[in-house]
Amino acid sequence: MSYISVRNLEKRFVIREKRQEGALLRGKKTVRALQGVSFDVERGELLGYIGPNGAGKSTTVKILSGILTPDGGDVTVGGRVPWKERREHVRHIGVVFGQRTQLWWDVPIRDSYDLLKDIYRIPAGDYRTRLAELTEALQLGDLLRTPLRQLSLGQRMRAELCGSLLHRPELLFLDEPTIGLDAVSKLALREFLQWENRQQGTTILLTTHDMEDIVALCPRVMVLGHGRKLFDGALPDLLGRYDTLRTVTVNYEEPEAVPELPASIPLARDGKNLMISYSPQEYATAELIARLQAAGTVRELTVQPQNIDRLVAAMYREMDL
Amino acid sequence: MNTIRLYLHSMRMLIRSQLQYPFSFFLQTLAQLVMEGGEMLAVVLLVDRFDHLNQWGAGDLYFFFGLMSVTFYLTECFGRGITGNFPYLVRTGQLDTFLLRPRGVLTQAMCSAADPRRITCIAVGIVALVIGSRLSAIQWTFAKTLLMAEAILCGCILILGLFMIEAIFSIYSVKSIELVNALTYGGRSACEYPIDTFPRPLRVLFTVLAPFALTLHVPGAVILGKPLFGWPAWAAWVSPLSGIIFFFLIRLCFRKAMRHYRSTGS
Amino acid sequence: MRAYLSAFRMRRRLEFQYRGAVLGGVVCQVFFGLILIAIYRALYAGKPQAMPLSQITSYVWLQQAFFRMLLASDPELMDKIRTGSIAYDLCRPLNLYGFYYVRIMAQKMTGSLLRAVPMLLFAFLLPEGWGLMLPASAAGLIWSLAGLLLGLLCVSALENITMGFTMRTLDSRGMQALLNLLMMILAGNILPLTLFPDSWQRVITLLPYAQLLDAPIRLYTGQTAASEAPRIILIQAAWILVLAGIGLLFWRVNQKRLEIQGG
Repeated sequence: MSYISVRNLEKRFVIREKRQEGALLRGKKTVRALQGVSFDVERGELLGYIGPNGAGKSTTVKILSGILTPDGGDVTVGGRVPWKERREHVRHIGVVFGQRTQLWWDVPIRDSYDLLKDIYRIPAGDYRTRLAELTEALQLGDLLRTPLRQLSLGQRMRAELCGSLLHRPELLFLDEPTIGLDAVSKLALREFLQWENRQQGTTILLTTHDMEDIVALCPRVMVLGHGRKLFDGALPDLLGRYDTLRTVTVNYEEPEAVPELPASIPLARDGKNLMISYSPQEYATAELIARLQAAGTVRELTVQPQNIDRLVAAMYREMDL
Repeated sequence: MNTIRLYLHSMRMLIRSQLQYPFSFFLQTLAQLVMEGGEMLAVVLLVDRFDHLNQWGAGDLYFFFGLMSVTFYLTECFGRGITGNFPYLVRTGQLDTFLLRPRGVLTQAMCSAADPRRITCIAVGIVALVIGSRLSAIQWTFAKTLLMAEAILCGCILILGLFMIEAIFSIYSVKSIELVNALTYGGRSACEYPIDTFPRPLRVLFTVLAPFALTLHVPGAVILGKPLFGWPAWAAWVSPLSGIIFFFLIRLCFRKAMRHYRSTGS
Repeated sequence: MRAYLSAFRMRRRLEFQYRGAVLGGVVCQVFFGLILIAIYRALYAGKPQAMPLSQITSYVWLQQAFFRMLLASDPELMDKIRTGSIAYDLCRPLNLYGFYYVRIMAQKMTGSLLRAVPMLLFAFLLPEGWGLMLPASAAGLIWSLAGLLLGLLCVSALENITMGFTMRTLDSRGMQALLNLLMMILAGNILPLTLFPDSWQRVITLLPYAQLLDAPIRLYTGQTAASEAPRIILIQAAWILVLAGIGLLFWRVNQKRLEIQGG
């Protein structure tokens, strides 16, 4: 049996609407946040979990981490049912929310770690070795004596990661860990996560809106939308399957140059640039570029794949068909 | 044992955090002194004008005031996580963080806040107890000291229970938290005076529903040598336990509220 | 003038939006009133005073009803000062002191009227010895209304001075709490000033805090005779001038400092 096993997961929320003018009681509306989601994750996997806001990502994470009780379906993580054996379960997981801290604001982060040691009942010897290991990998050595409030955002995220990994969790949930970080911090963070995943065999489940995180870290990606699983597999497959539209931006020496293209391909002008959206299935990329070059002297030309939001939107369209 | 260690560890850190802003801390502590000093002044001035309240003389009234003051502010000082912050914890999603750790939610709430500023309020209460005990010429014995400790401890637990109602309300996102305040802060203001001051409805409220009278006044009256309700002395050892019973009843409701929270994620 | 008026109106509308919280607050406040009166009744039963009990119960209800007037309660403004976004207001072609004075006054007035009307109605319905009695005389009522208005002006001026402190020290939770508590005691909220020792009362009633609610309440209950009213009004007016003067000066100094520091 796989490490995480999710079968037909269901969750409904009752949302109370704003009271209508003149109505006595507020209306109620049931939202199906998860509608029969199933998947398996093996020990040591690094899984990216994406989808637009309100897709049900955080509901899934809350159920897997034992905060929420689902309305239907079966979940086991390492043989335990998270919401039934909450305390035993959370002993084995770590969670990092990008915009929330579990460390203390006004005391040195080392003191926060000492408290976490007591909370998780980590044996003293194990705590020392683990802390040494993590501070080295996360380059926190000089910062241990600094209060959290004096750390930069990138340092803070590193400190946060250290705090959530002290008790050697088997499973780590990361919710938008790179949000707001600068490029250097992002790279360092990704490197660390790979190290932790390989070195400790920690299973990592990452939710993010940043496709670069997924590209860099996750061999496997899962897409959720409207409470349903839309895709589960390797990233290139996802891109190939749904990457129906690409955008070419071209900049000519001659301002009046206009390429001859079929009427089905829309053309937009943005300052000196021409923007062309096309589907590689319908129109070969090589053919398109040849036509663009025939129209004038190309100064610059870029081909961009869809961004994640457009991809997901494309998936919705496909579902509705 | 481990839980107590965790709690003490948290308290140390909380106090250190607060001392990071020493001047503001000092002024706020001073403000607390003015507040509780003002409350005490009110009792002193009333005694000055009226001499006594029913069978209770000046010393008795100071004693009752001190008993409530010490109990209430000990709770606020060490139980701030429940007495002050719970609705905030729910609103900000901090409660979720508690659920992610292998400890009880109430334990973590207790560990999440402290209010050392209340130390001056407790000091005022102790002064009132000492003056009251002198004026009423209490003959202190070991048993009486123990009884007072029991009363204060059970009173603290009762007050924690009362504040947990507020926590439960906030989990069900009921807005009228002021109504609970009427019970907690109203109970404090009222039960600074012995229970027989009040007309029957209030007496029932603070004896049966929120048993301040049973936890504090019954043993207090026995210590002063003027038993309430004509009850025998041993009753004073039993009646404070009502505070603990109250707490456990509310804790049952709290469990139910947490189940609700975990199924709705509100 | 128009700008001040619209600041007043906006603040008033905002206060009206919290009707739900008002109801809970009223119930709580009524409950406190009942507890206090129960205590004074028990004390009176033991040793009746020259001043009739009904004056005390009226005093308690009026204090409870207008309690909101005493509370310093403009967290938005406090935040503005703390975060420095008050700098925007410096750019307005207005006198800042006047602008905030009006704002605070609107909040206090609307907040306390919303609570006072239902509470006073309830208190009138209570039996003699528990409830609020009718005013001592028609003249007393009129004078007390005038006194209340002046009290409102007075408390707004006081709060603006507290705001001045906040601008000075940025984090002034301590200072604010201190001033507020002092106000609670000396305005007669914790214990009616009429129950303070008579010798103290002679001094306390001259202090600015007594002008807020104590002075108009005494006019209402007839403890201060209507013939004495002009003297009371004069004291109130004098304090308003003094407090507003101090506040204005304070703000002007602060404003200069802010402008130099660039916010």
